[in-house]
Amino acid sequence: MISEYNVSIVGVGGTGLLTAAAVLGEAAVRQGEKVRVGEIHGLAQRGGVVNCDVRIGDKVFGPIIMDLKANVLLSLELAETLRALKKVSPESTILMNSYRMVPPGLSAKGDQYPDEEKVLAITKGFTKNVFVLDALKLAKKAGDPRTMNVVMIGALAGITGFPLKKDLLRKAIMDLFPKAADINIKAFDLGYRELNASCVKHFPHHAML
Amino acid sequence: MNLTEKLLIDLPGKDFFMLANEAIVRGVIESGVGVVSAYPGTPSSEISDALYQCAPIRKFYMEFSTNEKVAMEVAGAAALSGVRSFTPTKHVGLNVSIDALMCFAYVGVDAGMIVLSADDVGPWSSQNEQDNRCYSNLATLPMLEPSTPQEAKDMVVEGYKISEQLNEPVIVRTTTRVNHTSGNVTLGTLTAPKLSGAFKKQADRFILSPTVAKKRHEILLQRFERAKRIAEETNLTFVEGEDSGSKDFGIITSGVSYNYVKEALNELDLNFEILKLGMTNPLPEGKIARFLANHDNVIVIEELEPYLEHFVKATANEYGINAKILAKRDGLFPRFGELDPRLVLEGLAKAAGKKVPFDFQRVDQEFEKVKSVLPKRPPVLCPGCPHRATFYAIRVATGGKALYPNDIGCYGIVSMPPLETDTVFCMGSGVGMASGFSIVTDQPIVATLGDSTFFHSGVPALINSIYNNHKFVYAILDNETTAMTGQQPHPGTGVTNRGTTEKIRPEEVAKGCGAKFVKVIDPFFVKEAVKTFREALTYDGVAVIISRRECALLAIAKKRKEGQKIVPCEVDNERCTGCGVCVSTLGCPAISWSGKKIIIDPVQCDGTVCGVCMQICPQKAIGVTSG
Repeated sequence: MISEYNVSIVGVGGTGLLTAAAVLGEAAVRQGEKVRVGEIHGLAQRGGVVNCDVRIGDKVFGPIIMDLKANVLLSLELAETLRALKKVSPESTILMNSYRMVPPGLSAKGDQYPDEEKVLAITKGFTKNVFVLDALKLAKKAGDPRTMNVVMIGALAGITGFPLKKDLLRKAIMDLFPKAADINIKAFDLGYRELNASCVKHFPHHAML
Repeated sequence: MNLTEKLLIDLPGKDFFMLANEAIVRGVIESGVGVVSAYPGTPSSEISDALYQCAPIRKFYMEFSTNEKVAMEVAGAAALSGVRSFTPTKHVGLNVSIDALMCFAYVGVDAGMIVLSADDVGPWSSQNEQDNRCYSNLATLPMLEPSTPQEAKDMVVEGYKISEQLNEPVIVRTTTRVNHTSGNVTLGTLTAPKLSGAFKKQADRFILSPTVAKKRHEILLQRFERAKRIAEETNLTFVEGEDSGSKDFGIITSGVSYNYVKEALNELDLNFEILKLGMTNPLPEGKIARFLANHDNVIVIEELEPYLEHFVKATANEYGINAKILAKRDGLFPRFGELDPRLVLEGLAKAAGKKVPFDFQRVDQEFEKVKSVLPKRPPVLCPGCPHRATFYAIRVATGGKALYPNDIGCYGIVSMPPLETDTVFCMGSGVGMASGFSIVTDQPIVATLGDSTFFHSGVPALINSIYNNHKFVYAILDNETTAMTGQQPHPGTGVTNRGTTEKIRPEEVAKGCGAKFVKVIDPFFVKEAVKTFREALTYDGVAVIISRRECALLAIAKKRKEGQKIVPCEVDNERCTGCGVCVSTLGCPAISWSGKKIIIDPVQCDGTVCGVCMQICPQKAIGVTSG
């Protein structure tokens, strides 16, 4: 049994964040774990800030991850990574999608949206374990740009110490996307492989594979 | 397995991953409820949506009512006739229905009735964060408060039993954090829904004349005395850590806060007894007194109002118990906004004189630096949203010089440039306030509200404005759905889960209410729309405009289903002079600057569904390539 494992997922409405959390929740229940998923989505169906905290383990009760207590910060949109940094400690891992959604308020002054290097520099001030993925590229490779969320779940599954079993995650994905199971499984595998490759490159000391 | 299959499956004892709102639905189905009525509202919307889908399969009755008060009356009448009923609402919806609920409390019910109040503490998607626990006191009705998805289901099942024991409606109160938490839920046994009953006439009960009302109030108070016994005995309320826990400190808590308490105690390595209150009206005086007597210090942890705190202090006073009671008054916890694990940990540490085991100050300081880089992401109208086009037309027709009372719905997002409005209060309030503004100011007024809001509470204000001869433009933004809460049908759509009925058209209603200026426009024909608003502004009276165009999300879904391609707009760089009219007047998420030119995001743009930017570009630089 797991004691406590916290994944904070951040992004923008419409990027499949709630579905990503549902995949993790389903897999956790099937693995016999206690799980809590807390979701906050404000007013907008699309384009607003969305945050989901996925919490697994016996010591978990509430839907919110306490500041500094996220094991993983999974970000589906570049700048949104920054919004949840309080939940990150030096031991945390950040998985970051390089995909950008520039808010329309900024359209007139597009320079206000931070570039990837800046976001990376800031996040590294909170933890050294940061991985950037081009999930859009991998999702397109899988066959549908909308599978970015599943690419990121695949990457999450590759992190050392991530407690949910890969086959249960794949099963949950197949059940949640019955009409597009193949594409989504492909997206999952691409994310998983990409993270492992990236680990070997950047963090050879992590015994991942 | 889809949602309805999961909610209707007959596998008692099996664990499923469920949203608390789904677990509530499961509780309603397990209880054999026959009649459900609701007006959608976040954070309760998923409850009514799922019940709407399950009803035709499970063969119970579920309707979307025009507003919460009507929903309360529908559900209440069913319960008076011996059929279990359920009416879920968001917290402010109870403001609309409380008039009816007060009556049902006086007359009582003949079958179980649950009113679910989903309170938006935060608030995340509401105009206030009122604490509806206060309503259970006002109405003298029992209230249950779950902390988890499992409890959300179980308390609905238990709530029906309590309701029938007392012959009174029961309020189940949740908060956004509970409604929108998913987790393990163990299913219970299904009960077949009971659909029909009979109303037994009883003038000395149901005709609430002052004489009858006085008598019924006495009966209600007698029943509340019985409810107090239930509050003492129910296992929904329990003490945790008894015997092993510290006698120095004890904690009294309920709802979502209980979860934070459990985690905070664990982090602080403290072993305090917890009195967890599942039933929060009536509160168990005896249990609380015993808990107080057993501890030197008692910390009360709750969100919003000092509701438990006041009762605990009154009980201590009543029983002459000297335990020190630490709570909001001592500045340990805020009276506004949500609690969270950190706030509870910090408050608890302070009360118990323990050191906080995390360096929160440091992360706060670090995060201050991040804030300036973080782009703001206020909610925006979707690309292709017809409301954007209507507000654009209003803006052009009035030159930005009118008063713009607005209302609750997606269009309520329009509060910032370039499409500003002036007020967003409560359902139907914009048109009511337009009347008041028209009496005391000389400014032109364009009041806006959505189609579902019109049916909810816009009609009485319309009649009032015509009767009293006010002068303003009454604009109904008709996107043929209740978009904000997730595309629920309403009288204007004619859609129900029992088949379609004739659409009730707002223009026919307006004419029936006596409006003489009633025009229907399509906001995607921009010139025509502007012209009609200009004409309406010169009308000496209430000018009703129905701006009708299907919600973009529905339109796109429909096109996709039909296999049609959505062709996005494109900018002709030769023609684009970078004047920025499109960006500065529409605020469309798909349109942005790229250097000195404009680009349109093909992923976000709904192109041929909308096409408003093509019409307003002074250079005619936006178009669609035939594809």
